[in-house]
Amino acid sequence: MSEVGTLPRPARHGALLAADDVTFGYDRAAPLLDGWSQRFDAGEVVAITGPSGRGKSTLLYLLGLMLKPSAGHILVDGVPAQALPDRERARLRAGRFGFVFQDAALDATRTVLDNVCETALYRGDDPREARMRASALMERFGVQLRAAAKPGQVSGGQAQRIALCRALLHAPRILLADEPTGNLDPDSSRVVMGAFREHAASGAAVVVVTHDPSIVAQCDRTVEL
Amino acid sequence: MRARLRVVGAILREAAASAWAQPVASLVSVVIVAAMCASVLLTTGRTVGAEDAVLSTIDSTGTRSIVVRAEAASGLDSTVLDRLANVDGIEAALAFGPAIDTRATAFAGGAPVPVRTLWGGGLVDARGAPAIISPAWASPVAIDGLGLLDGTGGVASDDGRDYSIVGELAVPDYLAFLEPLVIAPQPDDSVGAVSVLVVIADTPDLVGAVAAATGSLLAVDDPTTVTLTTSEGIAQLRAIIEGQLGTFGRELVLVIFGISALLVAAILYGFTLLRRKDYGRRRALGASRSLIVTLVLLQMTMVAIVGAAFGTGAALTTLAATGDPLPGADFAGAVAVLAVVVAVIAALLPATVAARREPIRELRVP
Repeated sequence: MSEVGTLPRPARHGALLAADDVTFGYDRAAPLLDGWSQRFDAGEVVAITGPSGRGKSTLLYLLGLMLKPSAGHILVDGVPAQALPDRERARLRAGRFGFVFQDAALDATRTVLDNVCETALYRGDDPREARMRASALMERFGVQLRAAAKPGQVSGGQAQRIALCRALLHAPRILLADEPTGNLDPDSSRVVMGAFREHAASGAAVVVVTHDPSIVAQCDRTVEL
Repeated sequence: MRARLRVVGAILREAAASAWAQPVASLVSVVIVAAMCASVLLTTGRTVGAEDAVLSTIDSTGTRSIVVRAEAASGLDSTVLDRLANVDGIEAALAFGPAIDTRATAFAGGAPVPVRTLWGGGLVDARGAPAIISPAWASPVAIDGLGLLDGTGGVASDDGRDYSIVGELAVPDYLAFLEPLVIAPQPDDSVGAVSVLVVIADTPDLVGAVAAATGSLLAVDDPTTVTLTTSEGIAQLRAIIEGQLGTFGRELVLVIFGISALLVAAILYGFTLLRRKDYGRRRALGASRSLIVTLVLLQMTMVAIVGAAFGTGAALTTLAATGDPLPGADFAGAVAVLAVVVAVIAALLPATVAARREPIRELRVP
């Protein structure tokens, strides 16, 4: 892991995801991240906190290979991934990563089951197997709705659980969540955090952007921006 | 291989599901493509149908025929057919001997009908079967003139030659000038005097060249004893009609397809902007740009096929109901295929725009 030799924490189970000397900003004169480094190991849940406008979500999109740093590297399993072609980065996002967004970001025109199975298409998974896994996950998270139900017919808490099912469908090794409990009641927040902890325990790295102290308290460590 | 097919199937299902899940966008696209096909078929299609009918009429009157009339002293004989056999661009050549007046043997003193000897084949009987002309065949007009009730019977010439009419002959339009026509076929290897030679060129534009070749192969001593008439003027008129109608049709098709393509592109672009969050989410979750372009284009292909089917069906039904000339199946099919291709090409820009949506920008849209 010589590429991440400058990172501040030693590997616990080996870094699944790392930022190495990353610089990024929408305004070159005032970068949001300037030579920022961090590693995210298997088995831990990391909270990223900080005031609004400091680039928490931007950092998450950088880590998720949706943005390219102007300098430095994003390392996935030790491999600099930001320089890969779009097709490869998309493949990594679909296969290695799971994403949970603040507003669930479901497709309102499709059924909830279609939403949960969406990423199977991007990975080229067997649709039938994906539906079976999706049904099991939806049952586990208490959103086993009728097949034709659309996202518009479910509550905010249910929508976020559906988004969680979508993120966990392929048991990703890296789970990135952007304010996943921002619009949720305490019960739903507990379900989501419980799922994150459980997923980390299975050997994944979980990164959560949040400003909720109760969520921060449930994480293994906190990175302040 | 099976895994690849499964992925292709999944992409097709996703495109179909997306089209189904966006009823307004799909319906508007179906209507535009249907309107594109219908307007082409109801305007240019009708013109093409009329053009086909006009050209067919011109062709049927002998646009491609060359007629040589030879006096008895010309020396033109049936060996001319052997020489013409080596000329390219000739569909058929028929050599008729001098007309010999005959009357039905059963009715003494009846109306005379000329019998002509014939070299060369290609004629068919009234049932459309190849005519085995032996010993003589008569056209319906000739049969009426001779008074033969069942189309058969004997005829005899004033100089004592007898012919037995065994069947009815379908006379092509280009031989109508020989009516009433009774023909007595001659063996190919026999030689006899020819008074009328009819040559049919393969296409109207070959009439001039074939006429020149025919004139040079007549082998007559005195050219003034033969007259050669062609349908070259009609052929030229045909070409002019075909060219003018074709040009008009092509321009109209280009205008209609151009306007429709712009409409499809503009409307799809609008729908793409409305669904930019959807494309941003797809990108974030791992859809590659090429996959998004593929999905949008497949979605448009499916919608366009439905639109083309509806538009073509509606236009052809309308043309049939109003009694207007129908364009051929190949033209209607080509219009439908072209409409789908135009719609898919028009969808390229919106598809590319959709694939270029940045997740971080789109997922933050409230």
